[in-house]
Amino acid sequence: MVLIIGGAFQGKLNWARETYALADSDVFSCSGLEIDFSRRCVYHLEEFTLACVDADADPVACFEAHAEQWADSVLICDDVSCGVVPMSARLRLWRNETGRLCQYLAAHADRVSRIFCGLEQRLK
Amino acid sequence: MTIFLSGGAKNGKSSLAQDLAVRLAGDGALYYVATMIPVDEEDRQRIRRHVADRAGMGFETIECGRHIFDVLDSADRNGTFLLDSVTALLMNEMFAGSHIDKQAGERCASDLAAFIRSVNNAVIVSDAIYSDAERYDEITELYRTSLAMADRACAAECDTVIEMVAGQPIIYKGGLPE
Repeated sequence: MVLIIGGAFQGKLNWARETYALADSDVFSCSGLEIDFSRRCVYHLEEFTLACVDADADPVACFEAHAEQWADSVLICDDVSCGVVPMSARLRLWRNETGRLCQYLAAHADRVSRIFCGLEQRLK
Repeated sequence: MTIFLSGGAKNGKSSLAQDLAVRLAGDGALYYVATMIPVDEEDRQRIRRHVADRAGMGFETIECGRHIFDVLDSADRNGTFLLDSVTALLMNEMFAGSHIDKQAGERCASDLAAFIRSVNNAVIVSDAIYSDAERYDEITELYRTSLAMADRACAAECDTVIEMVAGQPIIYKGGLPE
């Protein structure tokens, strides 16, 4: 599995497309709790973690439960860790849960890349 | 050599950018392209601080809040240009008129790419504002996507791309000048 993180709008998906030869049909873009792990690439994991916060679900437990399904996936998540502590409890929890999930995934990843302006910094 | 330099606030971007520009210029012309149009005392104070910081370094200041290519009307293209910052330039381009200009990001991206291609040496400074846990309103989000578009265009065009973290340069592409 490969984990790609980075700030919003940094060209993470484009970089993944080029590096791993992904077609549009390979990419699942999260917008809620459901993840289609049959796609090679799962994008916008931060939308999944926000949905988890709203549903009082545990994103790490969810990934643990499907571990064999994403073992060869390209996973992409916005880094939301660098701003001021959010005023809203929902967004504070979102920030925590996104960080917790990224740490869990990075620990299990073969490669962790951070994308900055379309360029890779390899973290693992 | 052309260099794109970004990162979070107060990580040493301006100071490294000045050093790099001085090194690139050698004995040639050295320009500071000031993009901020001050609107209040805080802005004016910030400008005075930056002017004092670069005093004696040999910069000729060119004030240009919009239409960045106009800088080249009066300057020597073989010189070295320090442009600080893409952030302020886009702010001016996007919010200067009576309505918000949604094309400002694309225009800044192509203007800056053309500018970088047209000059011998440049150091372009921007701000990384993409990693906070916030759901922004439509206008702020438009500004963020537009700045990212301009940043990526600069990064693609420049020889060297640097992210500054706590005064330490992380080099994503190319290298530093001798």
